[in-house]
This record gives sequence, C-alpha cells and structure tokens, in this order.
Amino acid sequence: MIGKLAACGPARFTDLAKPFDVALNAVTKHLKLLERAGLISRERQGREVFISLRPERLRLVADWVHEYERYWSEELDRFQGYFAARKKKS
Amino acid sequence: MTLTTKTIELEFERVIAAAVDEVFDAWLDPAIPGKPWHGAAKLIFAPEVDGLFYFRTHRKEGGGGEISHYGRFTAIDRPGRIQHTFVSPFTWGLESLVTVTFKGKGGDTLMNLHHGGLPDDEKGRRHELGWNYLLDVLVKHYAGQR
Repeated sequence: MIGKLAACGPARFTDLAKPFDVALNAVTKHLKLLERAGLISRERQGREVFISLRPERLRLVADWVHEYERYWSEELDRFQGYFAARKKKS
Repeated sequence: MTLTTKTIELEFERVIAAAVDEVFDAWLDPAIPGKPWHGAAKLIFAPEVDGLFYFRTHRKEGGGGEISHYGRFTAIDRPGRIQHTFVSPFTWGLESLVTVTFKGKGGDTLMNLHHGGLPDDEKGRRHELGWNYLLDVLVKHYAGQR
C-alpha cells in the first residue's frame, strides 16, 4: 500500500484495497496501524476520503535502516531474480 | 585492549526457483549475480574452510569511492550451509559473521541469510544514501502538491 501511495499519490480507500485479496476490515486495520505510525494521513474531499503517504515520516525509518539491510536485500533479490528468469525461459 | 560495542543481527529469507544443490553451487559461483563476489572490481576468492576472500566494489552512493571487503570461510557443508566472516568499513574492521542455509521446499529452495555481529552505530546506518535521496524527491513532490 505504501508502494502504491508513493507511486500514484493520494488514493481512495476502495482503490487502495482493490489489489489485495483480503477482507476490507483487514485493510482498514492495516491502514489504522499506518496512520497511528504517522506514515499516512486521511483527508476528506466532499464525500470521498483520500489517503496520502507522509514520506517525511518514512525518512525517519530510512535513517534507522542498516547499510547491510539494503545491501543483502538487493543482492538476494538479484539472486532470486536470476533463477526466476531462468525458469521462465525454460 | 578490548573493544566492546553493541551489535545487531539481520535475517533474510528467499524462495529460489531451483533445487538445493544448484542454489548452493550458484552461491559460490562469482559469475552468477546476486552475491557479494559477483561483479567486483577486484576479486580474490578461495571457497573452502579457512579459505579467504577479498573483493572491492565501487560505491554508487554517498559520493562514490571504493570499498574493500574481506572474509574467511568457516563452514562449507554442501548443500545445506555456508558460513564466513565479513569485514568491511561498515563493521569497523571487526569480523561479523554471515551464515547462509539452504533447505528444499517442493522443487524450490528456501534460503536463509543471517548476518550477525554488526556494530549498531551510525557508521552502518544509511545516512545520505540512495534511499534518502529518493525520499527527498518524494517529500518535494508531495510538498509541491500542497
């Protein structure tokens, strides 16, 4: 959800929930958690409520991510991707 | 003199679309992408117990420069486990320990990488690096919308 908000900007609840194969109240619960963490905010525009990312709060998280957290994640994604691509070809 | 510092541990898990022995061998093959020793500017590599490795990489972020990494293999148990020490500027020159395990999962491989003994200080944290740059762009993008 954070990825979608970062890529596409503010979105309505239903649009955010659509790609996920889970109950709507699970999505509500997840959004409440993100809101409590200060990572998203809600804004009413007429009858619609739009949810936005608060990237300034993500920066705080980024400052606490270890160099090797990023390093191994990228390396392992590449390793996994190599085999996935090879399987697709065969 | 004893240098004591608070350390942290990192753990990663991936499911790889290949058999265990194949994934194990690939992890030790510098030609295959996705491991520390792939694509190094300089590589010295002896994958056997008590064998040493050295690789130098070019750093894209934080103003560039080159980083040297050193290590020593402490276990190579084909096809289940590889363990080696890992020394770099981000470990303050101290030995951290990387353990990679491989387990069959259907026809695939469940791979776990544990990196322990990393100094928990600002040197290892990601200040002024790529992700922060991206977040800066996002902050500016959203600020412009208000």
